[in-house]
Amino acid sequence: MINEDKESKQDKFTVTKVSYLTETYINRLQLLNDAIESKDEKKISDIVGELTTLRESALYQELGMLTREIHDSIHTFGNDERIAKLATEDIPDAKERLNFIVTKTDEAAHRTMTAAEETMDIMGNFSGKAHGIQERWSQFRNRKLSKDEFILLNEEITQFFESLESDSSIVNSKMTEIMLAQDYQDITGQMIKQVVTMVKEVEEKLVRLVAISGLVVVPAKEKTEKTEKGKASDGEKAEGPQLPTADKEIVASSQGDVDDLLASLGF
Amino acid sequence: MDKDLKILIVDDFSTMRRIIKNLLRDLGFNNTSEADDGQTALPLLKTGKFDFLVTDWNMPGMDGLSLLKAVRADPDLCKMPVLMVTAEAKREQIVIAAGAGVNGYVVKPFTAITLKEKIEKIFERLQK
Repeated sequence: MINEDKESKQDKFTVTKVSYLTETYINRLQLLNDAIESKDEKKISDIVGELTTLRESALYQELGMLTREIHDSIHTFGNDERIAKLATEDIPDAKERLNFIVTKTDEAAHRTMTAAEETMDIMGNFSGKAHGIQERWSQFRNRKLSKDEFILLNEEITQFFESLESDSSIVNSKMTEIMLAQDYQDITGQMIKQVVTMVKEVEEKLVRLVAISGLVVVPAKEKTEKTEKGKASDGEKAEGPQLPTADKEIVASSQGDVDDLLASLGF
Repeated sequence: MDKDLKILIVDDFSTMRRIIKNLLRDLGFNNTSEADDGQTALPLLKTGKFDFLVTDWNMPGMDGLSLLKAVRADPDLCKMPVLMVTAEAKREQIVIAAGAGVNGYVVKPFTAITLKEKIEKIFERLQK
């Protein structure tokens, strides 16, 4: 029973206060009515004055409570150590991670391309040699090759087989190199996930801050629509890659779309 | 198509320059040079040694659109065919590039076949 009383204390207090106010109002209004009937101008003016004061004090009380609420929210927000940590540690850390991702992906791309280029050179060499041998081999089969030429061809074929063995092991190691270079995906993927988690937390805190400041928070989707269509976007400014999920009306999603658009412009 | 054509590849990412260079080599174009933005590309182009320009749009310093406009405004370079290879995929941007006088537009990521088709199409039209 005592607990219940405590819990509802606040409510009861408000109720009492309100009924007290209402009673005062009713009381004053009755007096005002009487004064009007008795045409007592001084009394009418006094009562109206009292009513105004009454109304004002209610307003001030209301305002006082609001101020307290805002003050408390800002205080809790300011005391949130997590926010300070986000600003001083997590965001710089995220920047470092993102830079690391740029470096790592750059390295992987070059590593892959170097291996591919070297393989292409070897393969080009292969097919060149094979072509030469094949030509002379068919001359030999048609008995159009002299003895000296045959000795030369024989030597070349022997060399070709030797190089085939060593070069294919090089090609094999280049392919392994290309595969290994893909290990960046694992590490950068994990890092990107960490950054996404951090961004999500910052987003939540920002939404809270906006709520405290009393601004209306527009849901993300509605907002993009508004900004995309509302603002005069600067078409000449490069904006970088668009997400595959971007609005189809604004973004040409494939080379086919681009070609269609250009064709419609007379290209 | 003249395979001895001298081509300038402009992109701020070395990996992308390398990819384009390799693809062009596969298509038989061995005569290529590189620049990392419009500012470094323009003086190279002005030497008059280039026949074809492949450029990205989004680059620090001078971007690809400004480079395209500068090329079109230069009496010696204004006829040079320009292929834009870019991640800028907004319809509005494609229209702007077309208006600035681009000869072809390839959106990243692209395939070797797309690049080949666009280059062939540009030369086909130039020969008409």
